[in-house]
Amino acid sequence: MEGLKDQNNSGENGYNVHMADAKELLEQQFLEMRWRTLSLAADLDRIGRASRGGEVLKSDPKVVKLRKAFELLMGEGEGRAEKLQMIFSDMTPPPK
Amino acid sequence: MGGPPMSHEMKFIDPHIHCVSRTTDDYLFMARAGVVAVSEPAFWAGYDRSSASSFADYFRHLMEVEPKRAARYGIDQYCWLCINAKEAEDVALSREVIKLIPPLLDHPLVLGVGEIGLNKNTRNEITVFEEQVEVAAKYNQLILIHTPHLEDKHKGTSIITSILKNDKRIKPERVLIDHCEEHTIRMARDNGFWAGLTIYPVSKITPARGTDILEAFGPEMICVNSASDWGESSPSMLVDTALEFRRRGHSEKELEHIFYGNPCRFFGQSGKWKLKAEA
Repeated sequence: MEGLKDQNNSGENGYNVHMADAKELLEQQFLEMRWRTLSLAADLDRIGRASRGGEVLKSDPKVVKLRKAFELLMGEGEGRAEKLQMIFSDMTPPPK
Repeated sequence: MGGPPMSHEMKFIDPHIHCVSRTTDDYLFMARAGVVAVSEPAFWAGYDRSSASSFADYFRHLMEVEPKRAARYGIDQYCWLCINAKEAEDVALSREVIKLIPPLLDHPLVLGVGEIGLNKNTRNEITVFEEQVEVAAKYNQLILIHTPHLEDKHKGTSIITSILKNDKRIKPERVLIDHCEEHTIRMARDNGFWAGLTIYPVSKITPARGTDILEAFGPEMICVNSASDWGESSPSMLVDTALEFRRRGHSEKELEHIFYGNPCRFFGQSGKWKLKAEA
């Protein structure tokens, strides 16, 4: 099924108003993205400052998953949100 | 925020909200925002109930008390009955509760069985889920599905869709798989089920991500909801998502299709839902 983005970009729906291009979207989102990144950095700093912080940041399975997620964010390709969801998903088999 | 405003006549339906845990201020907000109808699935109260009689009272609350509260604000209120996935870990209690349900299914405001599903994907939860699917199949009811949260969501959604697909009595278009996210919506839609998107201020899909999913997957067979309950959640999430959708340049016609028409199309299959999707 066609997504809405495709339908709208086709220009067939005359009632739609202007939709932003990538550069405009980045301009609109940049400050919030920057803020979210800083937020994560501060979260990691806070954990690092706490008792056993170094050890947790180095080897805790949750942090390991976060590192994988950060690598994914920096990679090429589409579907980052879906791939990131899978990093945080339990992939063990169902109960018998 | 820029972008075109929404018409003051825009109508919304919140297809999944737990009004028993919301204040009258929330009803007032919904009425002002254009919410004209809601559907309220049976869910976990925030604590495990001690007996089936507690559920009997809860069902009466859903069928009789809450619709009267909603009506004061001009909102139509419907509900769903079940034992939720979390309390389903107690199989004996669950079976007592399940016995209460069939005699209530003819009530004019009961749309079907829900929200049934899984929480931690345990064997007991699966057993109780299958027994409630049996009730829905036997009495030809619509089904509203709760999928687990966070790391359990993908596995739980996979188990649920497998069970439903293997039961030939279940028509996928009469099932709404709720709390879908980026990694589970295909499991619902590609198998012919309706998909629900739950928009939360924290921990679940945000209005921006919800709009991303609507853009990527198109408007068909998706219901957007707030699933507002006793936790950090808000009825405004429904309208905030509509605003984000409109801000990105989508038309009011598309907005109406998703936020009003789709719930009417799914719930309309019950024969009890009164509102009609506009052409």
